[in-house]
Amino acid sequence: MPFIEVKGKKIEVNEEGFLANHEDWAKEVAELIAKEEGIENLTDDHWAVINYIRNYYLEKKLAPMVRKLCKNTGFQLRYIFELFPSGPARGACKVAGLPKPDGCV
Amino acid sequence: MSEKALKKDLLEEKIKQVKPEDLVKALQVFRDKLSQEYAAYLNSCVHCGLCADSCHYFLADKDVQSLPAYKLNLAQGIFKKYFSFVGKNIPGWTGAKEFNQAMVKEWVDSLFGRCTMCGRCSLNCSLGINIHLLIRKARSALASIGVVPPGLQSTVDTALEKGNNMGIPRKDWIETVEWLEEELQDEVGDKQARLPMDKKGARIFYAINPREPMFFPLSILAVGKILYAAGESWTLSSDNYDVTNYGYFAGNDEAAATMSRRLVQSMEKLGCKTLVLAECGHGFSSARWEAPEWLNKKHDFEVKSILEIVADYIRQGRIKLDPSRNSEPVTLHDPCNQVRLGGIVEEQRFTLKHAVSHFIEMKPNREKNFCCGGGGGQLAMTRFSQKRLQVGQIKADQIRKTGAKIVAAPCHNCIDQLMELNKHYKLGVEAMTICEIAAVALIIN
Repeated sequence: MPFIEVKGKKIEVNEEGFLANHEDWAKEVAELIAKEEGIENLTDDHWAVINYIRNYYLEKKLAPMVRKLCKNTGFQLRYIFELFPSGPARGACKVAGLPKPDGCV
Repeated sequence: MSEKALKKDLLEEKIKQVKPEDLVKALQVFRDKLSQEYAAYLNSCVHCGLCADSCHYFLADKDVQSLPAYKLNLAQGIFKKYFSFVGKNIPGWTGAKEFNQAMVKEWVDSLFGRCTMCGRCSLNCSLGINIHLLIRKARSALASIGVVPPGLQSTVDTALEKGNNMGIPRKDWIETVEWLEEELQDEVGDKQARLPMDKKGARIFYAINPREPMFFPLSILAVGKILYAAGESWTLSSDNYDVTNYGYFAGNDEAAATMSRRLVQSMEKLGCKTLVLAECGHGFSSARWEAPEWLNKKHDFEVKSILEIVADYIRQGRIKLDPSRNSEPVTLHDPCNQVRLGGIVEEQRFTLKHAVSHFIEMKPNREKNFCCGGGGGQLAMTRFSQKRLQVGQIKADQIRKTGAKIVAAPCHNCIDQLMELNKHYKLGVEAMTICEIAAVALIIN
């Protein structure tokens, strides 16, 4: 399996760059995945989305529906797409360290 | 098994654990799936090579393993070895091949890994061999012994266990629709505007792709807006609403039948006249063309794509569109399962010509169009994702040549691949569904 390197530590990812083990996630890991997604700097707004998704996932083992994401961050849907140009699944969930969702994504 | 282990791709280990009795079972399933017609196909290829240039895999990588005839030959060799008189007795004469673990691996790599079941080779075959369907039958043999690439298998499993392919809880689906309904009311300025849920006796039951409520809800809103403007009698369903059917790609007919039956159940529960399918390529060919086969029963209701419905509204003057609201150049991608294999060809063009001011066809188009590279379950099978992006170059080049800024695609799966191609090949385009584009142009009185 491919890997990414953060602070000298090798972290396993799948062929599309999603973390193989979500426990490997850390702030620096998120920053690196974000860079690969074309996001140079993670702002407070990015972190609000990332933290919500991550905590939701840790609790429920599911990615949150985008409605909950909007409701809990107070962001408009279109703004979330601006923050994460690859969209909530391949963008935000990936940076938050979630496994790749099933379905047409 | 720990959750950690589940996330890993265990396919190689699975193949190593394939026992002789599994091989016997897979062979039997393969044979059982072959009608006389299909058995004849397996004796028909004359290696003319016309299929080579029809396949986006071969065009992109020029690798002999990507040739449709080569892929077909993998299935043919097994058929001849085990089910033909000459092949059984003098295997060397017929190109008969042994079915063993190495062959299972080769089937997986070629028939899952190098094919999107797009059917372009079948269309170009000089003998009319249904190559993509034979490949599906070989996939069925693999599926019968549990050898299906993990992302594809888990999408089937999630749909079977949770009722939809993204595992959306019922409450979340209902709340999302309520949220979208408020958005709709704001957009059309009418507090009575509805996204009806479980409305019995409505004319239309509209089945959606779970990806929409989960991550891309604006496409539901767009359709809701169009149906509102047309004054349609329609409904969503609180359960059994998933238009997708990954049993189709996995070659799992039983799973495919279960998923098809769910839409039939919703039609019965709601008493609707027409099942209308969201913009989803394989969902369309599954529900409209394959389901009666899987269920062994003809539908006693009408099945239509939302594309047909919207084009009808325009023809009948039930909705009015202002094309000047979509002034950027738009091109159209033809999803294989909706167009070449589905037969919905002109409706989306008709709608776009009314909805946008600058429409450019990519070439080739209609039934001759190239697959985006994400079909056949490729988007779900992470292990082949680099290949998927590589062969998507054919589509990326087609798009670039049009100079369009927006790629319309009546399939959510294609849209995801197109977004990936956009990023990978730096196309600078946006991918939208037909209804999203039409909704922008929609005039609300």
